[in-house]
Amino acid sequence: MRVLKIAVMAALLVMAASVAFAGPTYDRVMSTKVLKAGLSNQGIPFGFINDKNEWVGFDVDMATEIAKRLGCKLEKVVVNNNTRISFVQTNPPKVDMVLSNMTHKRVRDEKIDFSITYFFDGQKFLAKKGTVKDAKDLANMKVGSMQGTTSIVNATAYLKELGNPNPQVTGYDGEVAMFEALRSGRVQAITTDSTILLGYAAKVPGQFELVGDFISDEPYGVGLPQDDSAWRDTINFTIQDIWMDGTYLKIYDKWFGPNSQYPFPLTSKIEMWP
Amino acid sequence: MFKRYFEKIWVQNLALLALTGLVVYYFAFVFEFKYDFDWAVFAVEGQYGHMGHLMVNGINTTLTITLYSAAIALAMGTIFGLARLSSFKPVYWFATSYVELFRNTPLLIQLFFWNFALPYAFPEEIRFKLFDMNFEFWCATVGCGIFTGAFMAEIIRAGIQSIPKGLLEASYSSGLTFPQTLRKVILPLAFREIIPPLGSEFLNNMKNTSLAMTIGVSELCWSMTEVYSLTYRTFEAFSVATLVYLGLSLSIAGILYIVNERLKIMPRDRITPLRRVADVLFWPFDFLGRKLEYIFWYFRKSPDQRTVSPLKQALNRLGRNLIKALKIFFVAALAYVLYMVVMALIHFNWEIIGANFKTLLIWRFPEGDETEFCFGLGGLASSLLMAAISIAGSFIIGLAVGMGRTAKNRVFRIPCILYIELIRGVPLILVILWFYQAILEFVFKVDVQAFWAATIAMTFFFGAYIAETVRGGIENIPPGQVEAAKASGLTYFQTMRKIILPQALKQMLPALVGMFIAAFKDTSLAYIIGVMELTRAAYAINNRIMIYPFEIYTTVAVLYFVFSYFMSLYAKRLERKLSPETIRIEM
Repeated sequence: MRVLKIAVMAALLVMAASVAFAGPTYDRVMSTKVLKAGLSNQGIPFGFINDKNEWVGFDVDMATEIAKRLGCKLEKVVVNNNTRISFVQTNPPKVDMVLSNMTHKRVRDEKIDFSITYFFDGQKFLAKKGTVKDAKDLANMKVGSMQGTTSIVNATAYLKELGNPNPQVTGYDGEVAMFEALRSGRVQAITTDSTILLGYAAKVPGQFELVGDFISDEPYGVGLPQDDSAWRDTINFTIQDIWMDGTYLKIYDKWFGPNSQYPFPLTSKIEMWP
Repeated sequence: MFKRYFEKIWVQNLALLALTGLVVYYFAFVFEFKYDFDWAVFAVEGQYGHMGHLMVNGINTTLTITLYSAAIALAMGTIFGLARLSSFKPVYWFATSYVELFRNTPLLIQLFFWNFALPYAFPEEIRFKLFDMNFEFWCATVGCGIFTGAFMAEIIRAGIQSIPKGLLEASYSSGLTFPQTLRKVILPLAFREIIPPLGSEFLNNMKNTSLAMTIGVSELCWSMTEVYSLTYRTFEAFSVATLVYLGLSLSIAGILYIVNERLKIMPRDRITPLRRVADVLFWPFDFLGRKLEYIFWYFRKSPDQRTVSPLKQALNRLGRNLIKALKIFFVAALAYVLYMVVMALIHFNWEIIGANFKTLLIWRFPEGDETEFCFGLGGLASSLLMAAISIAGSFIIGLAVGMGRTAKNRVFRIPCILYIELIRGVPLILVILWFYQAILEFVFKVDVQAFWAATIAMTFFFGAYIAETVRGGIENIPPGQVEAAKASGLTYFQTMRKIILPQALKQMLPALVGMFIAAFKDTSLAYIIGVMELTRAAYAINNRIMIYPFEIYTTVAVLYFVFSYFMSLYAKRLERKLSPETIRIEM
């Protein structure tokens, strides 16, 4: 009898928990005034921990700016390449938006929504200076990339295209391990979005260089919960506002400007709606 | 009245059935998953390749690592287990430091050390040669092997030492030589002691191979993460990986069960059917053993050969000198290694360690953001906190489930067994991922920080292990006491509270301290979901500085070691207090 009672109680408890269903993201953020953002903490220069143990980066600054303009408090949540999508995919979402150098892809857009593109990048290769004269040299090299990204898939396809039927591409756990593999010499080249490669190459100035052409377009978007158009509009308008009054350029120059550690010229304009 | 009904088997079965029905009904009809399953992802070729093939490749790699590392572990365990019994002190010290060092640091840190720091100890040419040979794979395989080997060495040592000294004396006094005693007395008895715990080490080793994913080996856990980050099919990927791990665990456990059955001493007229199966399976080994016995007998020394000829004498002397030379060589080699270690320590960049030490201890507490866990508390402090909370919580779970496991009533026993076996069959890394990304969100609809998710996962994980310890403790109490308690009119809970648990808990104390050490070391796995515990903090610092991996990982290993080692010394002292008789066999 007692077992039955406990079982029923437990069942009721679980049911009660499931009833507490959150409303759309927009309403929740506006009522609680807390904006939860998923950010990476090991991707230089988008989100990383600096010498003073502060969590900084381009994505972090963008998230801070968005939160500021919405009048919310920013709550930073660590995501990595494996969790950045699933965290906005759950219901209710674990985070309200994800800025984690994430390329806007159609396949991803089936699961979550994206804002307009807020950063333009492309995939490249990074190798020791002088080892790669021509893109063809890459074909038979051991190449490292990151697990859970499409970079690894792109790279395999690209090397196949260059004429290596069985390319050796290793997917490491995050940017650090990938760069470490290149630095210690266990792979001859690494590949992912070029700005990330720049960030790591700047760690040991003068030793590594970007090689070859961009092998893909990587337009970054803010990952947002699926089917919440009020929320998506808010984020889109905010990003456009940030661009319009010049704050975007300020943030951009801070991280990628000519005087920064990882100079990378701004190649495109974000989508503007009149 | 209810109680009497409840003792009937059919009522219990019916209740179990009803419970299962309730759970199925709840999850099938009442519960809103808000997640549509799509198992086809493993069967069709998607934009990013065939996920099924990816998983199969992962399983293949996991099995390969498991087999190789098990062989390495067994070899290391045997060598160092015997070395731990050596009367030659330098060998004993060397083996002891191997065992203590590797048992008291987390496997994850060891893997990171092998992978990130060790290559820099070699000159460039050797390093490149190493990297040409599938470095990450061998790093993980050998790393797992060495780690498990340290545990096996202890088991083998303890097994050999458990042989009563009287038996040895009896065997020597009845005229058996040392090799004969070894073959006829020590090994058969030791094996019976050693094989069951050795088997569970094989099982642990299999589960530990899942950590290889953190250094980029594409084993099962790696494939699983790859699948869910490319297809966003969290539940499907987790479920398949869990089922595979469970299947592997169950098959290893099954093999062990049969081996145990074979080793049991049972009278001829009471042989169980399983024993017959085991006998058939082990027939080739028995056959081999009998033939070997015959060969040994054939080559035995006849008494008249025991007088020593001059040639033999010279040979003996040569042999003794050789052993002496080997000993000197060993000591010299050891001294050289020590010298190298000291030199390496002197050349360490101590500034880097000094500058980051505070960060390793408490991360950025108290300057952290207020949205962070405990204002940025991390590093060693949060590892200890996590271990303490999860052990306290799992003690409660373990006590309840362990009691349930020993209950006669099926309604309690079967769910408890299911819980224990399910949790013990999968790697902790997978349990953490389940809790963080699937269970807490979808089933319980709670949203907690990564720290708490990892702590909850560890609580449930260690709950299952503590439950087994509790069961062992309870079953060790003589049944006469329970009967006496029943006869004097105590209820079940009174008996437990007043008689069994106080005694059982006292016996369990060393095991519980051991469990705390294990939990402390395993907090390193919270790394995988980004909790800023000691390992993650070290990783972040290494990420920033990049060029001093040796210093950082050594410091972290020392931090883990110091805490675990002193706890394990404490556990040993407790154990000695509770059982004062220990004899050391020397070989």
